[in-house]
Amino acid sequence: MSQPVIESLGLTKTYRMGSQQVQALAGVDVQIKQGEFIAVMGPSGSGKSTFMNMLGCLDSPSSGEIRIQGENVTHLSAAELARIRNRYIGFVFQQFNLLPRTTALDNVLLPLLYRKDHDGTEDFASECLHRVGLAERMDHHPSQLSGGQQQRVAIARALVNQPAVVLADEPTGALDTETGLEIMQLFQQLNQEGKTIVLVTHEPEVAAFASRQLIFRDGRLQSDKQVQAESASEHLARYRAQKQQEGLA
Amino acid sequence: MKWWMLCKVAWVALQVNLMRSILTMLGIIIGVAAVIIMLALGAGAQHEVDQQIKNLGGNVFVVFARGRASSGARGASGSVQTLTEMDAEAIEQQIPQVSVAAPTIWANAQVIYGNMNWAPSVRGVDNRIFPAQNWQLAQGREFSAAELNSAGRVAIIGATVQRELFGASDPIGQTIRVDRTPVTVIGVLDAKGQNTQGNDQDDLIFMPLDTVRKRIAGMTLASPRAVRSLIVQVADERDMALVEQEMEALLRQRMRTTGTDAPFQIRNLSEMVETRARTMQIFNGLLAAVASVSLLVGGIGIMNIMLVSVTERTREIGLRMAVGAEPGDIMRQFLIEAMLLCSLGGLLGLSIAVLVTRSLERFAGLTAIIQPEVVLLSIGFSALIGIFFGYYPARKASKLQPIDALRHE
Ligand SMILES: Nc1ncnc2c1ncn2[C@@H]1O[C@H](COP(=O)(O)OP(=O)(O)O)[C@@H](O)[C@H]1O
Ligand SMILES: [Mg+2]
Repeated sequence: MSQPVIESLGLTKTYRMGSQQVQALAGVDVQIKQGEFIAVMGPSGSGKSTFMNMLGCLDSPSSGEIRIQGENVTHLSAAELARIRNRYIGFVFQQFNLLPRTTALDNVLLPLLYRKDHDGTEDFASECLHRVGLAERMDHHPSQLSGGQQQRVAIARALVNQPAVVLADEPTGALDTETGLEIMQLFQQLNQEGKTIVLVTHEPEVAAFASRQLIFRDGRLQSDKQVQAESASEHLARYRAQKQQEGLA
Repeated sequence: MKWWMLCKVAWVALQVNLMRSILTMLGIIIGVAAVIIMLALGAGAQHEVDQQIKNLGGNVFVVFARGRASSGARGASGSVQTLTEMDAEAIEQQIPQVSVAAPTIWANAQVIYGNMNWAPSVRGVDNRIFPAQNWQLAQGREFSAAELNSAGRVAIIGATVQRELFGASDPIGQTIRVDRTPVTVIGVLDAKGQNTQGNDQDDLIFMPLDTVRKRIAGMTLASPRAVRSLIVQVADERDMALVEQEMEALLRQRMRTTGTDAPFQIRNLSEMVETRARTMQIFNGLLAAVASVSLLVGGIGIMNIMLVSVTERTREIGLRMAVGAEPGDIMRQFLIEAMLLCSLGGLLGLSIAVLVTRSLERFAGLTAIIQPEVVLLSIGFSALIGIFFGYYPARKASKLQPIDALRHE
């Protein structure tokens, strides 16, 4: 039961830039269990994104291993890795990465279209859009949606394949404070429903909503601790009340 | 990803850069248009040749008397070396594959009716000319035995002669003058129209052999039954080669010649027509060169635009890979896009070809036939060009590392 959903073992990544070598990761061991909400913290350039990309099989390590539900995926082919991502991983990016000229529903549907066994139904995709509060916006194109709404579409897309883990790299980085809080509220709710979430952020205020914090420094795991998660809903309510007061004043 | 989904994706991508896509397709458009025009003109020319051969009888030889028929040259044995009506009979009787051999004498003469004046080709013939050259009578009758045997003063006229001399009035029973000899019109031939060289086939008059021999001025022949040519029809086209050989042997034996300069010459009419049709192929060759150059240029244009497209959409490729697109999916996506681009170019080329061939038919009097299989072939071929020149860009896209593609600016 306690088998990790994803784990990294002695993970290193070295980038070669001409004669120069950059050690982006220098041996990281992390186990991620079912139902966790993890914030990956650290200063800029500490290796957070590099770590995430390797968890999500978007990039391959220089040494060490990534295991997804116990299976070592380090030496799989590009096509096999694509299938792993399609089955087990949901991505949320800072820049949303939605396809323009494609409706919200079709954007959400995209991962399923790359499944050999997909029967073409859109039911679950529209259910996911319902879940993120965009039932009314299914036929809208990204350009017709606000930043927060676009990120919700991206989250629905990350949910549609019922992944083992949702990986989000600075998902609030391009959003204002209130919208960011709304997104964090959504992540917290999804976690309470049982989703495993790993979220990269350099803002402690955002990391506070997670129940476990990994802090990276110079490509190493500096600390890994369980914390009492703050409630994004409460923060949001407080923020809105404050804003209203300022508006009245 | 399913094929129809890929097509939808490709279609959306094309629409985004419609103008750019059309400009890119220009090479393909011109190339395909040239190919279709070329094949349409070729098919048109072939059709005319076939028509012509059908008019002549596709299975027809003409045996010409060589040199001056009036020379009276005598062979060593004293026989007259010239074609005669008896040769026609011999060919008909001794070569079973021959269905009819029609002796003819050709002449030119002035023909007068009232104050109308015309100079058609005059042919001395007997009734065998009708089956031998597929002539039908529009009006009147063939020659009677009496007319043939006694140099009867009768004529059967071609449609052009009828039009020029008689206009709308009925020519049957009218008397015309052929080189001052009064002759009664007993029939009118069905019109055959122009042959592929643009010569009017209906500008002629048929009269009995003897009538031409005896009454048309300037006709002096080597023997009383000499003729200028024999029109020989073979029952089955497949026997042409055999009949040619046997006829050659038979005539040589009858004229007792063995040398290279036989006093006759055998020619295959359909070959003659086809030879002339070959001039058409020079023009076609030119078009073929234009077509292949444009298709090559078009293909390279497609490759170029697909490379641009791959670069522009690197982040999209990264995203697709992140959510589960395998390299093969990406490859197919771009191949289909290139294919669609080229097929569309092919369709536009086809439309242009239709316009051009229609105007060539109308204003240049050419016959052009666009065959359905040519249409399918050219669209299919453009799609193939798309696959060929789209392969490299598509492969490049599929080889991208997902993370590099996602980070691309
Ligand atoms: N593709 C790359 N090529 C070279 N160096 C890279 C590349 N990606 C990341 N790095 C380097 O690796 C280190 C870690 O980067 P990253 O994981 O993006 O940090 P973070 O997300 O914590 O800001 C940085 O020094 C960065 O410059
Ligand atoms: Mg980062």
